[in-house]
Amino acid sequence: MDGAREAVRIAERTGGVLDHVESEALLRDLDPLRETGGLATTPLEADLRADLVLLIGDVGGDQALAWLVRPARPQGQPIERRVISLGGGEAALRSLISLRWGLKRRGEGNCALAKALRAAKFGVMVWRASNLPTLAVEAAHGLVRDLNETTRFSTLALAARDNGLGVQTVCGWMTGFPLRTGFGRGWPEHDPWRYDAQRIVAAGETDCVIWVSSLPGGAAPNSRVDILLDDGRAELVETPRVRIVVSAPRPGVVYDPRIGTLAASETVGSAALTLAAIRARLETTPC
Amino acid sequence: MLTKISGGRVLDPANGVDAVSDLWLDGERIAAPPVGGRADEIFDATGCVVMSGAIDIHSHIAGANVNTARLLLPEQHRAHMGRPAVTPLSNAGWSTFETGKLYAQMGFTTVVEPAVSPHHALHAHLELSDTPVIDKAILAILGNDDFGLSLIRDGAGPAAIRDHVASTLQTTRALGIKVINAGGAAAFKDNVRAFGFDDIVPHYGVTSRQIVKALQRAVSDLGVPHPLHVHCNNLGLPGNVETALATIAAAEDLPLHLAHLQFYGYGTEGKLGFSSAAPKLAEAINKTRNVTIDVGQAMFGQTVTISSDVLRQFSARGQASPRKYVIVDGDANGGGIMPYNYKSGSFANAVQFAVGLELFLLIEDPKRVFFTTDHPNGAPFTAYPDLFALLMSRDVRAQWLEKLPAEALAMTTLPSLTREYSWGEIATMTRAAPARLLGLKDRGHLAPGARADVAIYRPGADLAATFRHAVRVYKDGDCLVRDGELTHYRFGCALRLAPEPDAAMTRRIADYYDRRHGLDAKLLSVPETALPRDAFETVACLS
Repeated sequence: MDGAREAVRIAERTGGVLDHVESEALLRDLDPLRETGGLATTPLEADLRADLVLLIGDVGGDQALAWLVRPARPQGQPIERRVISLGGGEAALRSLISLRWGLKRRGEGNCALAKALRAAKFGVMVWRASNLPTLAVEAAHGLVRDLNETTRFSTLALAARDNGLGVQTVCGWMTGFPLRTGFGRGWPEHDPWRYDAQRIVAAGETDCVIWVSSLPGGAAPNSRVDILLDDGRAELVETPRVRIVVSAPRPGVVYDPRIGTLAASETVGSAALTLAAIRARLETTPC
Repeated sequence: MLTKISGGRVLDPANGVDAVSDLWLDGERIAAPPVGGRADEIFDATGCVVMSGAIDIHSHIAGANVNTARLLLPEQHRAHMGRPAVTPLSNAGWSTFETGKLYAQMGFTTVVEPAVSPHHALHAHLELSDTPVIDKAILAILGNDDFGLSLIRDGAGPAAIRDHVASTLQTTRALGIKVINAGGAAAFKDNVRAFGFDDIVPHYGVTSRQIVKALQRAVSDLGVPHPLHVHCNNLGLPGNVETALATIAAAEDLPLHLAHLQFYGYGTEGKLGFSSAAPKLAEAINKTRNVTIDVGQAMFGQTVTISSDVLRQFSARGQASPRKYVIVDGDANGGGIMPYNYKSGSFANAVQFAVGLELFLLIEDPKRVFFTTDHPNGAPFTAYPDLFALLMSRDVRAQWLEKLPAEALAMTTLPSLTREYSWGEIATMTRAAPARLLGLKDRGHLAPGARADVAIYRPGADLAATFRHAVRVYKDGDCLVRDGELTHYRFGCALRLAPEPDAAMTRRIADYYDRRHGLDAKLLSVPETALPRDAFETVACLS
């Protein structure tokens, strides 16, 4: 998180743009919420209460899903947890829309699954946005909103990799906006198309690309980079002008998918130190 | 460095001072006038009012729910001003940096974020550490968590509940405990849609009253200076004055603080079944001297409601404007985010506006009524200057009332109230009393040894302008605001209690997280190393 904080300060100082390798997925989850809203829960509440879990699309193996194999214990007593997989892609979207339609017109299109959803006491829909079309996320939120007219249902969107939610959180409190926020005009502006880093690089709109990958196993750059902070292992298509190895484990804070919030960690890498030094140098130099 | 603030009206009700005199600051502390000492800097405060920095006891400025609201409403806080040269990001709408700047410019130097879910305490503290100028504190929420409710259900007894509260204060680094619709969030997860003070949380078999009483006693037994901070049941509903009165009666002889009481001052009179019950409520507060309240004044305009009363937020979803809401069925309380527009032409909103002012004006003791808008729920904290003007001038009130629906005002006593708050009462309500309520001995007053947090105002015909831009604000003796503008940053600390945790309770909690979730309980605590150095200052518990 300290690295992200420094990155925001550097972007602010230089009129730069902030983006994350997982921005597409982050925005796929955020867009339906900020357009129409919805309901969400946390891994610990799902662990405690979810009697029905609907997995939408490929959710992959995830630390945040360790609870799936345990029984729910809403009031101390174990209860059976039913897990249903819905399939992914366009088929998921079609299923969600038809379920919503069926629920709205009781009796019509009322399949066994619709009945199960309605009978759940605390149901949870789980997905990973990188594996779903945007409309499926929106349809899932709509279905959950409708289900809550009569029962309790919530959603658990699995976190983006490489501390994506952590970086989005920092960007939120420091600038008021999520990622894909730029400072070109001297104040923060959020625009998912204009500040898409890949588009900016492809269009030749930038003269300096800084790629920060501080966490173990973090994503390697897939296009031109001028300054690279990483573990020094990835083989690159183009050699950056500067490469700084920041893999020495250090204590810090990251988004922890097991608890759905920020937590202390001993192994976040040392990018924050390097970025802080860059920021300090920038602040003593007029720009 | 010695600073002399000369010739101002020094207003320090905690020490019975209201006189034109000089005030000396020696480094980070208020000092006695030095014998033959020469000031390094002199500010001529002739014609000004000199007070200690203001303290806000209830303002939602940081944490998971606030940040969700930022992301939910990008359209509500666009920035339009260029990069400030020396205070980066203070132009970014709704950023923590802007929050610190705006509070400082109004002369506030300490602010309490009153609703932090224990599992999200680290997030809240990280945001607060990025909030410049002001000192901060959090209240940790209990009363809907599985572990705590299970203790009460299983008859674990007052000692165990006290130890759980101590552990929560310790691991979250909080200054106090808040309970929000006690049991209501847990009940909502069981599909309960209405929850009162004597309703039972399904399966846990405990009532809201039992939860509030158990926590009130634990907080008192531990010597937590701030009484249990209670957000009652039935917020916002017509006739909910009865819930508030029942909660006040339940306080019995122990201290209790009721948050944003305006939202509970509603009767059912009139054609529309919605009226002010503020006089009844104020009368009960006047009589019950162990109860303190803050108002949660509603002001007109667009805002967003951010509340851990998830049941209430879900029930009110139809009133969202614009039409979107987020409900987080989070750990224990969770939260609900719902944009809302208070309109001066609305009957209900006008009644709410009046109820808040009636409470301010009808509660006699300014030491027991606190100045809040429940930011941003009643209004953003940037509305404070207008609210000061409304309290201090009946002429200003008359101008506002002219624009409100007469049929709404007829359901209130506001037009008949003539009281005007004096500067001394404002100083009591926003400085002396909150410091005492929170147990902050070196804040809220100006005696030698106190922290050199000082706000200087130049009273003018426009009282709102007076309060919006202090002429000078000192934080720890550092002059940061000049003529209403922030000149540079300085970062304050978070105030916290550090009660000794009970070893057996620590083991019991560790065992709970391990068995229930397969997790190390330490993952959910706030370690010292996760925050910048000197992030915390420990406040003593009462002995």
